Amino acid sequence: MYILSKIKKKIFNNLSVILFYTLSFSTFEGLKGFTDLFIFSFNLQMIIVYFYVLKFPEYLGVGHIFLGGIINDVVIGTPLGTSSLTYLVLSFFTSYIRNATLRSKMSIEWITFIPALFFSNFVYYIIINNFSHLSFYYIELLQNSFFTFLFFPIFYFILNYYQSIISKNNA
Amino acid sequence: MPDSRDDFIIAIRYALLKKGAKQKFSLFFLISLSIAVVTLDKLSVPFVQTTRAVLNDFVYKVSVVASSPGKFASYVNQEKKKHFNVVKKNKILKEEIEILNSKRYNALFLKTENEYLKKNLSLSDDITYENQFSVIARVILDQTSPYLKSLIINKGKKDDIIKGMSVFSNKYLIGTIVESNYLSARVLLITDLNSKIPVMIQDSDVNGILAGSGSKTDLNLEYLPDQFILEPNKIIYTSGKDGYLKTGLPVAETYLSKDNLLKIRSLADPQQASIIHVTKGQF
Repeated sequence: MYILSKIKKKIFNNLSVILFYTLSFSTFEGLKGFTDLFIFSFNLQMIIVYFYVLKFPEYLGVGHIFLGGIINDVVIGTPLGTSSLTYLVLSFFTSYIRNATLRSKMSIEWITFIPALFFSNFVYYIIINNFSHLSFYYIELLQNSFFTFLFFPIFYFILNYYQSIISKNNA
Repeated sequence: MPDSRDDFIIAIRYALLKKGAKQKFSLFFLISLSIAVVTLDKLSVPFVQTTRAVLNDFVYKVSVVASSPGKFASYVNQEKKKHFNVVKKNKILKEEIEILNSKRYNALFLKTENEYLKKNLSLSDDITYENQFSVIARVILDQTSPYLKSLIINKGKKDDIIKGMSVFSNKYLIGTIVESNYLSARVLLITDLNSKIPVMIQDSDVNGILAGSGSKTDLNLEYLPDQFILEPNKIIYTSGKDGYLKTGLPVAETYLSKDNLLKIRSLADPQQASIIHVTKGQF
């Protein structure tokens, strides 16, 4: 019983990592699966990476981010390391923002998500264009980035709430 | 200025090189590794290709399991859509059934009414019925003046033809007996100025009096309600309010003339009638 509760606790504490890997494996693209809501596709992995690197870096290590990115590349068929590099660039920007920011505020973090998204997508664009023969819809990438930015506050509150529960449980 | 530049460099270096409490790799190392992986993948090094092939097999297997909730959600969504489509279609079909049922009842009613009208017009195939209720007569004289429209038939009181009987040509009413002699009778045609038949109009409950005008293609409808607008292609039936004619006998129809005027014409052509049916007694 003790072991079971310990496993349960471990899973609950590492839900962010599990979620990140699950998303990488499942090619989750927001609401893209729902044909009617095709336009609202967003990148939940990026939101998770940004949120955790910014607020709780101890819960989602860069090693996981790298590995998750590799898995994502294998699943979607992009050159190996593309998503890893994209996520790591995002992590780098987020780390910089975290170090440069004195006071944490959701609105500021939301705004700083724009340059972070921009640079990570820029890296993605460079790799796809120079390291593969793949072509993609720029407008789709732009839409995806826009809705990733737009939906950030929703997940910000959800993940914040989840982390507060973890903190309470661990206290 | 130099201070802020130093802060910037320190922040970048800190972000790149600093390892967290639980982290084994620095961001710089992993970014470098990612770049190396991308480059090796681009160069298609055999070792990387083999690794990728193994990785692919593993990841695809796990991906099948991991993507099942998403697929399930998508499946549920599609099924939900299908369900709502079925519900919607069902609703439409139900409405269609109601309309078709209504049409069927209407058709049944019309069929019944038609049979009834046929019977009453003595046009039924049932010879017994015709013999029982009508007398066949021949037109012996056709009075043709601009305003007096009447026929003389070869049957009269001898054959029990009396004043007020209805006269039919083919399927339609053409007039009434206004004068009965022993061996002959006079039929006042519906096109005559003096002919006044109480009628009702198809698809309405409006009653009026159909009056002749001398022409079979230009009958008049009198005593219609003020607000009533007559439409073309409507059949005019007898209303039976005079006590002689049975309700629902088709008499005339509305139509649009060449000069786009709404007019009423007789369904039968009394001037062409040679053999007619005179109904015995009142309807």
